[in-house]
Amino acid sequence: MKGVILATAVSFYSLSCFAAAQQTFQVDSVTGAATWMTNQHGVNFSLTQILPQQAQAFYVNRGFTLKQIQSYATSCVFMTVLRNDNAPGTIHFVRKNWSVVIDGKSRRVLSTDHWLQQLKSNNIKKSALVAFRWAQFPSEQKYEPGGDWNQGMLTVGLAPGSVFDVIARWDIDGKPYTAKLQEVRCAN
Amino acid sequence: MQTKSFVRTFIIFFAVIVFANGISYADGAPPLTHKLTKISQSIMAPALRFKNMDDEIVDIKDLRGKVVIVNFWATWCPPCRREMGSLERLHQATKDKNIVILAVNIGEDVDTVFPFMGTVEPSPSFPVLFDTDAAAMKPWNVNGLPTTYFIKPDGTIAYRAVGGREFDHPDILQKTIALAQ
Repeated sequence: MKGVILATAVSFYSLSCFAAAQQTFQVDSVTGAATWMTNQHGVNFSLTQILPQQAQAFYVNRGFTLKQIQSYATSCVFMTVLRNDNAPGTIHFVRKNWSVVIDGKSRRVLSTDHWLQQLKSNNIKKSALVAFRWAQFPSEQKYEPGGDWNQGMLTVGLAPGSVFDVIARWDIDGKPYTAKLQEVRCAN
Repeated sequence: MQTKSFVRTFIIFFAVIVFANGISYADGAPPLTHKLTKISQSIMAPALRFKNMDDEIVDIKDLRGKVVIVNFWATWCPPCRREMGSLERLHQATKDKNIVILAVNIGEDVDTVFPFMGTVEPSPSFPVLFDTDAAAMKPWNVNGLPTTYFIKPDGTIAYRAVGGREFDHPDILQKTIALAQ
């Protein structure tokens, strides 16, 4: 039991560190989930793998059946954090402008509307759909400097184990900025 | 060997349970800050009228003359869970100063929220309202949880915070009390 507590504590501690490097990579020693993180232009951007069984457990607890959430849970889900630490102004992003690059080809991340359209035709409880909608990373948002941020789920729509780059885009008063995470891997 | 296997299974089970109850924030999640964004324009707070835990209607328009802190949240939202204890400490420090906190839960019910409140330290004693359809999100311009607004006694919006905060920080405490004076 002591070993379990120690392993959990060490894992939580190791993942609470916030590196200032261009891109960092960490693996949770408990779940095996990997996190890619970068800090560019005063904005922190990270993706953490969500294992299919984790996504299933989360949404089954919100009222989905395993069958209803299976397609989503296996579509390469990440916990996404974007935070305006000290950018030179209010950042504004529209998620459909973000892209995933795999094998030299660029594609959009899957939108929340894409999933809601699929799920709505599946006799899913309203409360489950509300939870689903608001558990996703925002489709559009503004963050003020000093720590405005969100944390939410993002699906890439690639096969398990796929390796890709992801480019987040935002603007400050119309001036475009980007942050790129390289060689991100979908959970198996 | 069997012990090792049991421990491994237990660890995986534990991790999934933690994740299922709220996406684990052992994921490098940023620390909570204490900055509030000042709203310079004079914008009236939108309507807000929902039932509380006792099935009674609470209407923000009846709270005119008080500072009202409106926090949009859900039990499955990790930063919402993280900031909830500090919101209660802010409540304890300001409840006799004409300051009211309304925690608007999105999409859940009493059966889900009540047990969660017992896990928060200190346990929240401010009103929780139930927006089961997420109807307030659009008029309040909420694009992600948690989002918190500080409303002046005249009904205009003073501050906004997007994402988790440390509400019992002295800076927030000072700003909140100043709004009531």
